[in-house]
Formats: sequence, structure tokens, C-alpha cells
Amino acid sequence: MNDPILRYTLVERVMHWIAAVAFCYVLATGLAFYSPHLYWIATLLGGAPTSRFWHPWLGVVFAATLFWMLKAWLGDMRITPADRKWGDSMQHYIRNEDENLPPIDRFNIGQKYFFWGMLWAGIVLLLSGAVLWFPELIPWSLRGLRFAAVLLHVSSALITIGLFIIHVYMGTAVVRGGFTSIIRGEVSPAWARTHHRLWFQRVTGK
Amino acid sequence: MTNGWIDIKNTDMMLIIGGNPAENHPCGFKWPIEAKRQRNAKMIVVDPRFTRTAATADLFVQIRAGADIAFLGGMIRYAVENNRVAKDYLIHYTNAAFVVQEGFKLPEDGLFSGFDAAKGTYDRSSWSYEGVDRPGGLAYDLALENPRSVYQLLKQQYSRYTPEMVERITGIPKEQFLKAADLFTSIRKDGDMKKVATILYAVGFTHHSSATQTIRTAAILQLLLGNVGRAGGGVNALRGHSNIQGATDMAGVFDILPGYLKMPNPADTDFKAYLERITPKVAKPGPWESYNYWSNTNKFAVSLLKAMYGDAAKKENDWAFHYLPKIDRNYSWTEIWDGMYAGHVKGLLAFGMNGVAIGPNAQKNINALKKADWLVVCEIYPDETSEFWKSPGITTEEMKQINTTVYRLPGAGFAEKDGTFVNSARWLQWKSAALPLPGMAKLDQEILARIFLKVRELYKKEGGKFPDPVLNASWSYTDPHNPSLSEIAREINGRALADVTDPKLNQTIKAGQQLPGFAWLRDDGSTMSGNWLYCGSWTEAGAMMQRRGTEDPSGLGIYPNWGWSWPSNRRVLYNRASCDPAGVPWDPDRKQIWWNEAQQKWVGPDVPDFKADSPPKDHMGPFIMNYEGVGRLFVPLAGLADGPFPEHYEPAESPVANPLHPGQSTNPIAKKFHSDMDKLGTVAEGYNIVCTTYRLTEHYHYWTKNNPMNVQLMPEPFVELPAELADDLGLRGGEHIKVTSARGHYIAKAMVTRRIKPMTIDGKKVYQIGIPIHWGYRGIAEDEGKTALTPANMLSPAVTDPNAYTPEFKGFLVKVEKV
Amino acid sequence: MSSGNLRVQKISGHAGPVAGEGTQRQEQVCKLIDTTTCIGCKACEVACMEWNDLPFGETVFDNTYQTMPETRWNYWNLIKFNEHPREDGSMQWLMRKDQCMHCADPGCLAACPADNAIVQYQNGIVDFQQEYCIGCQYCVTGCPFNIPKFNPQTKKMFKCTLCTDRVSQGLEPACIKACPTGCLHFGTKDDMKELAGARAQQLREHSGYANAGVYDPVGVGGTSVIYVLHDITNPEAYGGLPSDPRVPWAVRIWKQPLKWLGNLAMIGGLIGVTMHYLRFGPKKVKDDE
Repeated sequence: MNDPILRYTLVERVMHWIAAVAFCYVLATGLAFYSPHLYWIATLLGGAPTSRFWHPWLGVVFAATLFWMLKAWLGDMRITPADRKWGDSMQHYIRNEDENLPPIDRFNIGQKYFFWGMLWAGIVLLLSGAVLWFPELIPWSLRGLRFAAVLLHVSSALITIGLFIIHVYMGTAVVRGGFTSIIRGEVSPAWARTHHRLWFQRVTGK
Repeated sequence: MTNGWIDIKNTDMMLIIGGNPAENHPCGFKWPIEAKRQRNAKMIVVDPRFTRTAATADLFVQIRAGADIAFLGGMIRYAVENNRVAKDYLIHYTNAAFVVQEGFKLPEDGLFSGFDAAKGTYDRSSWSYEGVDRPGGLAYDLALENPRSVYQLLKQQYSRYTPEMVERITGIPKEQFLKAADLFTSIRKDGDMKKVATILYAVGFTHHSSATQTIRTAAILQLLLGNVGRAGGGVNALRGHSNIQGATDMAGVFDILPGYLKMPNPADTDFKAYLERITPKVAKPGPWESYNYWSNTNKFAVSLLKAMYGDAAKKENDWAFHYLPKIDRNYSWTEIWDGMYAGHVKGLLAFGMNGVAIGPNAQKNINALKKADWLVVCEIYPDETSEFWKSPGITTEEMKQINTTVYRLPGAGFAEKDGTFVNSARWLQWKSAALPLPGMAKLDQEILARIFLKVRELYKKEGGKFPDPVLNASWSYTDPHNPSLSEIAREINGRALADVTDPKLNQTIKAGQQLPGFAWLRDDGSTMSGNWLYCGSWTEAGAMMQRRGTEDPSGLGIYPNWGWSWPSNRRVLYNRASCDPAGVPWDPDRKQIWWNEAQQKWVGPDVPDFKADSPPKDHMGPFIMNYEGVGRLFVPLAGLADGPFPEHYEPAESPVANPLHPGQSTNPIAKKFHSDMDKLGTVAEGYNIVCTTYRLTEHYHYWTKNNPMNVQLMPEPFVELPAELADDLGLRGGEHIKVTSARGHYIAKAMVTRRIKPMTIDGKKVYQIGIPIHWGYRGIAEDEGKTALTPANMLSPAVTDPNAYTPEFKGFLVKVEKV
Repeated sequence: MSSGNLRVQKISGHAGPVAGEGTQRQEQVCKLIDTTTCIGCKACEVACMEWNDLPFGETVFDNTYQTMPETRWNYWNLIKFNEHPREDGSMQWLMRKDQCMHCADPGCLAACPADNAIVQYQNGIVDFQQEYCIGCQYCVTGCPFNIPKFNPQTKKMFKCTLCTDRVSQGLEPACIKACPTGCLHFGTKDDMKELAGARAQQLREHSGYANAGVYDPVGVGGTSVIYVLHDITNPEAYGGLPSDPRVPWAVRIWKQPLKWLGNLAMIGGLIGVTMHYLRFGPKKVKDDE
């Protein structure tokens, strides 16, 4: 009875990794444009004009996967009263006192916040990015749009960076097995029971 | 110009009227700006439109096109009434004190005395001074009180030009006119003679049927105020092309020979009769002395004939005077086209002249060319004239009917040629070629020389009615097929043909040497000169016209060692008048010349335009080219065709009857043509808008429409019209407007502006519109289909001034509609 | 653009010290534009096109004498024509040569992320180095004067160079050379300020322009292009000259507090997760079956 449980379908994993690669690219190039001290990244990635050329396109790819994820996971990502209750005990989770946490379904509220955070920030990045992509089409009289765009683009990018750091850290260092699951799609029953007991019960019927 | 471009910086007051120097002379306009910056000079701009010149003015006054005489006449009245005149100057340097003979009548009814209604001309014998035949000289009254004195007649003539009348005619509100008059004449407040005012004008004066008289009015005003001959003063024509002054000096006009010698006419049976007719004789009151420099006409004429015909001009044959053509009538520009349209002018050589586009009445010119046998066009671009046979609206069938043979010759552009430009300031300045000749282009002189030599060959071979002038014309150039312009410039300056000695100077010019100045010209055939005025421009010392000395010791901008100005390198004409009668400069800060008692001669930074050793006590008049020696407020006898004093006449097409004398509304002797294509429109026929044509900074005539740089700056033709008129028409800027005159129509985009305001003329609301002339049917915008392909001059009438024969391009009537 | 012997004192998107800063005795140059003597002849426009060999572009009649609505990537110098009604019913036709103002505190340079794409020389000229430009157009966002323009073919930004190539060789800019009325002057900033001040005073005292003054906006640290205006209180009348131009606050926030906050947050985040791992380590999976 120790057969692995399928946590992410192939489609979900592909979706995730497209988003991840696109995000890493826009993150790297974005950081290059963000700080002179990181401008070397653009050089590493084929030069700044090239980076400037691909950054918006990969941004579009990232945004597209966000909507794809929304479609795929909308049901799973709804925040329920149970999530809130779990959320109230977040400090136990942070302290690895998971035994004090109520059981939770496929995603916990942190994962859901990450998802929604990325989605909304992504939308802001997409819209502000569009302005920054074609500023020559913005007439001088509407230059306020450009001012708003730079501020929103940077602010929302910083939010996604924060979320990204937590996401990668949690998925690789803290919740062992999580990284494997997004690669191979499977988790052990024990992993599922420990971290997502309600989901485990739902998918195994136990 | 009596003065010069740089000299404008010396002025205290500028009246810019009938000109738009900021747009059409932007480089020269640095000097008006300099006067403002360095002297706090004031600038008054009078124009039908608020121009780029107006943008820098202290006072802008919008005037109706064709009403300048009324405005200036009002100024004259204002100056006289308010005693803002230069009394001493007036008495000593003008004919104000001269008395006019009885029988002369002022034009209260619109006509001076002597009008011959049948012939449409004046018998000018009554326009004369009293005492012409008296041994003591002409009658005069130094108190200026004699009712027939020029001054009293002037006062009477312009007494009718009240501010109210000025307002009725010009549309300038009375208060605004008074403001302008007060400002301009303020330089003579309380009899002060130190300050100086200048008048700058251009083709806004000359494109009228009373053009010459308009300039005269300005001259009278300047004489009244004592501004002529003085640094920062004068009456200054801003010439429209880089070398138009040179073209005039070199007789690019039908009725003169080089140096403004009059053209012979059939009554001049021999050289003596000719000289008798054209050499003025001194006539003056006893106390005046008159130099009458034109008394040297014989020397100028003989030297010219020697230059033209060389050894064939001998004393025995009257210096080959019989070789010169004698003109029996008016051969001015519009006459040529009228003659061609009538079928008796069979061919035309259009050399650097786009005759169709420069109009007036362009369609008539197009139709005239259809009747010609041949047309030769020398140009640097295909132009409207050489392609008249495919002018807009023509059908293939009509095209087949045209039998005119068109030859196109590849001319060279200005930057590809060396030679001189003579600028408005009468400066001859040599330029070098900057670019090689492109393609098959040839220099002007090579084209002309080849034509001439071919014609001469034909005369030699075939004889002809009178081959001598052609066969004997002097043509001794190193390369007869392509004479160098320096060689020609030397020929124009003139040289001694035999040793010439001046006993007073104890100096001899050897045969073959270049002459140092026109004082050396002789009437015995020992000298030759192509143009006496240019004598001194290329001497034994070298090419004076090529000098580039930048010294200006006086600070007056004289630059005596830069280029060379005619006459005799004098920079300000009549500069004797810059001093009081005792020979002391009116303004010690602007000393041009003065009488040096010790040396017994006139000295100073400028070359005296005067008899150098004539002491003030001799009371010689400063205007040495007039036989009276003084400036003419009143022009006697044959001076002008249409009156000894200027009178305001309405343009040939006018929105109102002349408020001064409705019975004689227009210039009674303005030339009108009577072909079926010469129509004039009236208000009754719906032509109720005053239209003026003009030029833009961004373009040069009909030429730069082929240059992408200029086309980028001003891409398309337009019609400038007041916002109120646009509202009436329901027209917005950029929409198309159709302008129609009695002669043709013009379609272009509308430029709706507040820079032209509606006017009230004699109680009637009148709109003015303006059309820049630069487009036609060949050019970048034209070839791209961005224009309606009709030249603006399809609208203008071929009515000309009776003295200079300039057509009335400005102030004709049109109607407008939205397209 | 060739920089000749000019050394750089500010570089866009640059980490570390600036090579040329303080290494050259160099006075700030300045272009003085006296709008009261401008006649709108466009000689400066042509001179700019000619000296820089800029390609022609298409223009369309737009109910004005102005060549085009605003400068273009291939048209760096444009006289703006404005009809300005006055209270007494008369009018003014204001003409102002528009081009890069070469701000002492250039917003374009502040906004630019590309190392070396925008430099400021020690003489005050702000110059675009197209070979380093990445075409992001942030300079447009940074500029309060609407000057940098995008070339869609090359994806590079262009603007007036203040004729760096000429100035570095001791010549005046091409526009100055071409100006017929002496409306344009070129020299040191101090000299130009003095000349401009004297002219403004003359206009106040002798020409009836009580509000004549010199436009040298402090909001951008002063400019290397200064104007004499008939009415210093209303620069907007001269074709949208901003009355108090500043580097936009959005750019200021973005490039300063937001950047440092962001850096802190990012570094803080990395330190935070590291500390968390050291303190709590990974979660254990309980195998309670």
C-alpha cells in the first residue's frame, strides 16, 4: 500500500515549468534592467538589446501560463473556511510543528496565496509591461500612463520576487519531496498524509 | 537701397512696410534685430498679414493690400501738422522751397493737370518749376510760404489724408494709425536732428498699379524727416533675389542700357540727338549749386559703345550708335506675353525664368506659349514653362494642336558658378564655384556664347537685314566659346584704350590698364567700360569685388575693404546730407563724412557721394544725380508718368470706390491689357475678398519645390485666411478651399489663422486672404499628387504700374468657397 | 556620437565610479536662445539636418508654419510656432527652437537602465550612445521636455547631441552657426547667463515686456540650453515649455526609494529563508501508518 500517489499530471508539470522558465528569464533580465549592479546578467543572456527584446515576449508567455493555471487550478485554489482556520495556525507550520495544524486539502493557504499573488501581480506586470513595451504609442499628453507603468511594473515585480523566493525555498528545502513531485508528479502516501491529509483521504478514499 | 544692409544697425526707428524681411531676407534681418538690440531701436511693421517680421515688431499695424500710399500720405500729413519735419534739411536739401509754375493742379478729383482722357496719358508740361527759362534761375521761397511752393503744395496735397481718411482707405483704426505716426515721427520731436529712421520695403510696394508712387511716398516722408543720406536712414529696397540688383544695373530691363543709360528711341536720329535727349541740364534757383552728375552721360555712353563694339565704334561713325536697337514702344515683361498671345512674338528664350509660374495671369502665358513657334528654356529643373504643353486641364487633343518647339538647355545652379552677386546694398561680391557642373550642365556664359557665335556665323554666311552690330560686337575673350566671368568683370569695369591723363591729379593711366573709377571715362574713345557704375570694381590693383577686408574703423558697418559697392565704393548714397549745411554731421556719434576746412575737402570713413572739394558755402545740393541738386518732394516733368506727387489710387480690382475721389478710383494711366483673357472682377460679380500673394522663408520661388529639404519644411501649398472668414465658410484648417478670380482658380489647403483679421474699409467689412506662390505642376509635392497643380498666379491680373511696369500681384479680388 | 576629447561625468545604468569625473578642467557650455529675436526661419532646422546628415521624413500641412508637431528621431531641432493672443486684442507669434535642453540633472540619464547608453560630459552635454542603447525608451519617461525619440527600425533612441562632435573640436553647434539674426548664442554657461540676463533686462526696460526673463529651470539643476522669454511667467505659451520641469517623481521614486527598498526586501528575503532553514530545517514526513 505504499504505492506513490499522482499529485501533478503531466500537463500540470509542463505548465509549471513553462511558467518557471519564463519567470526566471524575465526575472533575470528584469533584474538586469533594475539595477546597474546586475546589468551583467543581461550580458550573460546575450546582451542587453537582446534581453530587452525577449523580456516582454517571455513576460507574455509567463502571463499566458498564469491564465492556463487559473483555468486548471481554479477549483483547487479557492480559499475555504478550513484554509482560514489552517492559516490561523500558520506559526506552527513555520516552526515545523505540523502536528498542531488542522488537516488540509490539495493546497494549503500559503500555496493559494502564492498562486493568487502571482496571478494578480502577473496581470499588473502584463498591463504595465504593455505600456513599457510600446511607449512610442503613448502620446505626450498621456505620459502619466508611463509614470504609473514604471512604478507598477517594478512594485509588482518585487512582489513576485518575494513570492518566488518563498516558493522555491519551501518547495525545495523545507518540504522535501515537493520538488520531486513537480518533476515526476508523484508523492509518497506518507508525504501526502503529512502535508495534505484531506487530499490524501480524498484521492485514496482512506 | 540708398544705404545698405549692415547700415540698418545704425537706425533708431524702422518702418517695415511692403516687405517681410524676416521671412524673405532672413540673413539681412540680422541688422534690424541688431538695431533693436544695440540701440533700442523701434520697429513698426505694416502689412496685410501678421508675418514673422511682425513677430519681432514693437508695433504691428494690419493694412489693406494696395493702400500704402494712403498710410504714408497720412504720415506725411501728420509730420507736417505736428511740425515733426527737418526744417533745415528741407530748405537746403530738397525742392521744398522751389516754386511750381501756375497751371499745375493737384488731383482733388483724382487727376493732375494735363490729363488726356482720349490717350489715357498726361501732358506733363504743367508739372514744372516756375522760372525754368529765367536767367536768375528757378523761383524759390525760403520761408516756404508761397502757396505754389513745393512745400505748400505738398501740405495741400496730403491735407486730405486725415487719420479718418486713412482709416477709411487702409482699414487701420484711427488710434492705431496715430500711434504709428506718432512713433515714427517721434525722431523729429522738438526739432532734434540726431535720431534717424529708415524705411525698408520690398515687393509689397512694387507689386501694385501705383508701385513707383508708393516708393515715392516713402521717399518724400524720408526727405521731410531728413533721413536720406544718413547712416541708419534712407529708403531701402530689399531686393528679392541674390543678384536682382546686378540684373537691373546691367540693364535686365527693356528701357535702359547698363548703368541706367536710357535706351535710344527712333527719334534719336544720331548720337548727338540721343545725348541731347538723355542728358539733363542744370535747373536750379540762384543760391544753389548743382553738380548734375548725369552731365557726364556722354562719357558713359561712348565708353559703353566702345565696350560693345570695340574698334568698330569710331568717332566718325558716331561710336556705332546706329548699331543700338531703338525701342519704339513698351517691351516690358507683360507686353512680351501679350504680344505672344496676340501672335506677333514668335519665340522666347526663358533663361532662369519660369515665365508661366511667375505670372501674372498664368493661364494667358500658357496659352501664349501654345501660339509661339519656339521656346528655349535654360533651367536646372523641369519647370512649368518648359512643360506648359501639359499644364493642368489640357486634353490630349489640345496637346496635339500645339506646334511650339521646346528646347531645354541644361543650366548650372548658383553654387556651380563663379561670378558676382550685387546685393541690395549695391555691393559687388565675388563668389567661387562650390560644386562641379553636374551631368551635361553648362555655364550660363558658355550657353550664351555658343548661341551668339552660332548666330554670328549665320549672319556671316547669310547676311541678313543688318548684320553689322552682330558681326562687329566686341568678343575678344580668351575662350570665345566660354568666356571667364573674371574676364567679363574686367571688361565691365573698363580700361584705357589710349593713355589717359588727369592733369589735376597729374596721373596717367596707360593704354590697356584697368580704369580706377568712372571719373576717368572719356567721350573721345580713349576709354571703354561695360557699365560706368561698376567702374572701379576691378582695377589695376586687382578685383575690388573680391576683397574680404573686415576692418570697420568707424564702427558704422562701412567695411570699406569688403567687396566693392557702386558708385565708387560709396556705402551710403547722398551722404553729404548726413551733415548740416555747414558740413558738420547732424549726429556726432554717426559721422560718415564731413567738411575738412584745412584740407578743403570732404573727408570721413565713407567715400563722399559729392563733389569732394565743393565747400559748404557753395551751397551745392547733396542729391547730385538730380539736375536741381536737391531731393525731389515734387517730381517735375518727365520724371514720373502718373503724377509729380503720389496719390492714392485703388488697385485695379478693389472692394470699394476710392474714398478720396470715387469718380477716379484707380490709377488713370495704369496699363491694362485687353485680350479675351484679361478680365477684371468686381464686387458686383461676387469677387469681394482682397487677395495678396507672397513668399515663404521655406521656399525660393518655384525652384525649391524640387528639393526634399525645403519640401520637408513646408510640404504643401496653402491659402491663409482669417478665422472669421473660415467660420463663415464652415471651413477648418487643413480642409480644401477654392479661390476664384475673374481669371482662374486655385485650390489648396486652408490655413485658418488669427494673424489676418477682418477689416473695415470705408465702412464695409472686408476680408483679406494670402496665397504663397511657390507651387505649380512640377515638383516633389506636385508629382506626388499633393497639389491642385495650378500656379497661384492663375489668379493675379496683368495690370501694371505705368513707370516700372510691375504687375499687380497683390491686392486683387477673389471669391472663396469650401471644396 | 564621437566624443572627441570630452570626458564623461555621469553615465546611465552604471555601477561603480565614473571614469572621467573630475579629471578634466572643463567649463559648462551653454546654448542661449533669445526667443524675442527668433524669426522662425528654420535655418537651425536645416543646419541640424545637414550637419548630422539626417534622412528626410514626410511632413503634412497641419494649419501651421511649424514643420512638424514635435521633434522626431531624425529631426532633432524644431521651431515651435504659437499664436498667442494678448489682453489688448493684439497678438504675439511666439517662436521657440525646441531641442534637447541638456539638463544638469538629466531625467533621461536617471531613467536609463543601459550602462553607457546616456552620458553627460564634463561640459554639460548629455549625449546618447546608440551602440549601448537597448531601446527601452525609459529616457522618454525620464525627460520632462519630450525630447528623446525612438527609431523603430533600429530600436535606438535619438536626440540633439549639442553637436558634440563640433563642440569637442572647439566649434559652435551647427544651429548656432546657421542662425541669421543672432538669436542663438553659444559659450560658457556663465557668459550665456550674463548675456541672457542683460537681454531680459533690456526687454523689461525698453521693449515693454515687464515679465521678460531667463528660462534656466532649477528643477532639473539648470540646463545647458537657456531661453530668453518675453514672459517668463508663461513658458507654456511657447509650445508647451514646462514652467517647472523636474525629473518626474515617478522616476525619482522608482530609481531611488523603490530601488533601495526592493534591494533590501530581496536581500532580506534571502537572508530570511536562510535563517529559517538554519533554525527549523526541513519538515519531516511522519509515517504514522
